[in-house]
Amino acid sequence: MALRKLALLAVAAVAAFACGTTSAGPTTGSAIILGAPLGLTGSLTKESNLTLQGYNLWLDWINAQGGIVVNGVKHPVTLRYYDDTSSANQSAVLMQKLITEDKANFLLGPYGSAATATDAAIAEQNQIPMVEANGAAQAIFNQGYKYTFGVLSPANKYLQGVVDMAATLNPKPTTIALLSADDNFSLEVANAINDYAPGKGMNVVLFKKYKNGATNLTAEVQAAKAAKPDIVLNSGHLTEAIAINKAAKEQKLNAKIFAYSVGPSTPDFISALGSDANFVYDGSQWTPQVKYTPAFYLSESDYVAAYKAKYPGLGDPDYHVAESTAACLALQRAIENAGSLDPTKVRNALAALDVTVFFGQIKFDPRGINTYKPMVVEQIQNGVHHTVFPATVADAQPMYPTPNWDQR
Amino acid sequence: MANFVQLVILGLLAGGIYVAVGVGFGLVWGVLNIVNLAHGALVIIGGYITWQLFTALHLDPFLTLPVDAVALFVLGYALQRGVINRIIRAPLLFTFLLTFGLNLVLVNILLLIFGSDFRSVTPAYAGKGFEFGSIVIPYVPLISLGAAILLSAGLAFLLNRTRIGLAINAIAADRDAAQLVGIDLRHAYAVTYGLGAACAGVAGGLIALIQAITPTAGEPYTLQAFVVVILGGLGRVSATVVGGLAFGLVEVFAQSIPGSGSVFANAIAFGLLVLVLVTRPQGLMGRLR
Repeated sequence: MALRKLALLAVAAVAAFACGTTSAGPTTGSAIILGAPLGLTGSLTKESNLTLQGYNLWLDWINAQGGIVVNGVKHPVTLRYYDDTSSANQSAVLMQKLITEDKANFLLGPYGSAATATDAAIAEQNQIPMVEANGAAQAIFNQGYKYTFGVLSPANKYLQGVVDMAATLNPKPTTIALLSADDNFSLEVANAINDYAPGKGMNVVLFKKYKNGATNLTAEVQAAKAAKPDIVLNSGHLTEAIAINKAAKEQKLNAKIFAYSVGPSTPDFISALGSDANFVYDGSQWTPQVKYTPAFYLSESDYVAAYKAKYPGLGDPDYHVAESTAACLALQRAIENAGSLDPTKVRNALAALDVTVFFGQIKFDPRGINTYKPMVVEQIQNGVHHTVFPATVADAQPMYPTPNWDQR
Repeated sequence: MANFVQLVILGLLAGGIYVAVGVGFGLVWGVLNIVNLAHGALVIIGGYITWQLFTALHLDPFLTLPVDAVALFVLGYALQRGVINRIIRAPLLFTFLLTFGLNLVLVNILLLIFGSDFRSVTPAYAGKGFEFGSIVIPYVPLISLGAAILLSAGLAFLLNRTRIGLAINAIAADRDAAQLVGIDLRHAYAVTYGLGAACAGVAGGLIALIQAITPTAGEPYTLQAFVVVILGGLGRVSATVVGGLAFGLVEVFAQSIPGSGSVFANAIAFGLLVLVLVTRPQGLMGRLR
């Protein structure tokens, strides 16, 4: 018996030696554990799954390289995530669990401003950096937190691009009707327009708030119709965007521009509305058409190809996917720059980060939000998304003005 | 004035959906004494059936409504016979727990089958309508209102003019006496729940036409059905029709209060509910028992 044990030990020793000699280059270190609560069930399932797709795309790529290189040692990466049932409170509970039980080294964000806000407090208490890609409300970044970083443009930028674009069009639109959901994020988007539009020579003639998640918006559309605006802006969510677009056609609300903050960029908007989705504009964090010069990782076209290879049949990646991948890239580069897995050192490296990837420039202002990357404006033309503003990244001209409903 | 008339029309049209959602909920509550928290999930199943038939077979969405009704009746009958009947005489909390659990199960089955994508039914005539000067009456909500009224009338006929309907009424009046005269309680319960589910299915088909649905989109409708049924008064189909239309009107007028009035639309609707409960506890149209 003792002899057999000895023989096994000898075999193991030989095997270990053999492995040791075959692997050249950087040695493999301990796995880096990333934690993220995600709303895999509940009302945010769709967007949370897109977020997870973005994380997984990077995860496949980095592990194919052997992991993140820290001082010449490759650390493979694992992602731990739990279903927060789309509840912000549950998200915070799971974030704490990821830190204490799963010993997550670093954190990635959940989907949505509400959950990101509660999770940011947990990251701060535990002093572990969280890089997030799906919470754009500035309220998250006005708390003085030091450990939360958002790679996406903040909420106040969402529809400013549409106003900037409108100012360049002929005949120039001059009046805006603003319909906004009453959640933090949507109100930030809307209030920013209310402040910004007059400087561009446009008047907000109607600013109407509705209950977040409302399904019947006919009265709001009626109010917009009475105001006879050139531009109808909605700052809300996909379901509301679809409901408003349907009601606008039914109630003959005509305008030169219809733009929605969130919704039209997803394929669902076009499949739900068919040809009625045409001419609609939206502000987008990213489109597959943008042209940046990435310092590392994939180019825009390679990213789209990688997405289609991993998730066939889903079309192009939308911006939720791209920004989620970008969060991983920011964290990766910060860990490399820090040359350490120490949370405080990586936090400091994130604060000092300035890098351009396929998603655009990633650099954080002192609050931790990326105010350096511009938003782009998309328009749906003949059932296809086109980037129409700014002109430097556009692949099509805006189709303007939007024809009346009875002339389509 | 034209705006006022338009708002009245929009309110009544929106009310059609609430009528359709409310009648099935009211029936199950009135007869079985179950506040059916799975009602919203049943509604959305109907929506998915309509969406599936519309996208795969290009059937007109209104023609799919009978399919919704039949499919949901079968599902509802089976759920009641196999699951809910077991706790039908248990305290209210148990039925709450059970239907809440059923809701979770149904929603997650839908998530597995259809994913979380937003789906909506947009037929070629969507968005078109009658126009009288500046006033418009869009076809889709108008036909939806008609379908909801027809559904309610059909349900009222069934309950008041057929043998099984009279049996259901008898159970609602006195469960034990109904059993004494030979009514098969388990079957009649299952038929009742099946009818409630069938109404929910039709409502779901209509909802898929006006908004984008996801597996979780039914949850607000459970709450709205609750309000509509109390507003109208429990126990009569016609009362739910009045409740649904009233709810639609209140919602639209509350939402058209300038500024942030819409944010309080729910508060106003629930405030009205409290007012009705205080002044007319039997509901707008209800009878005192």
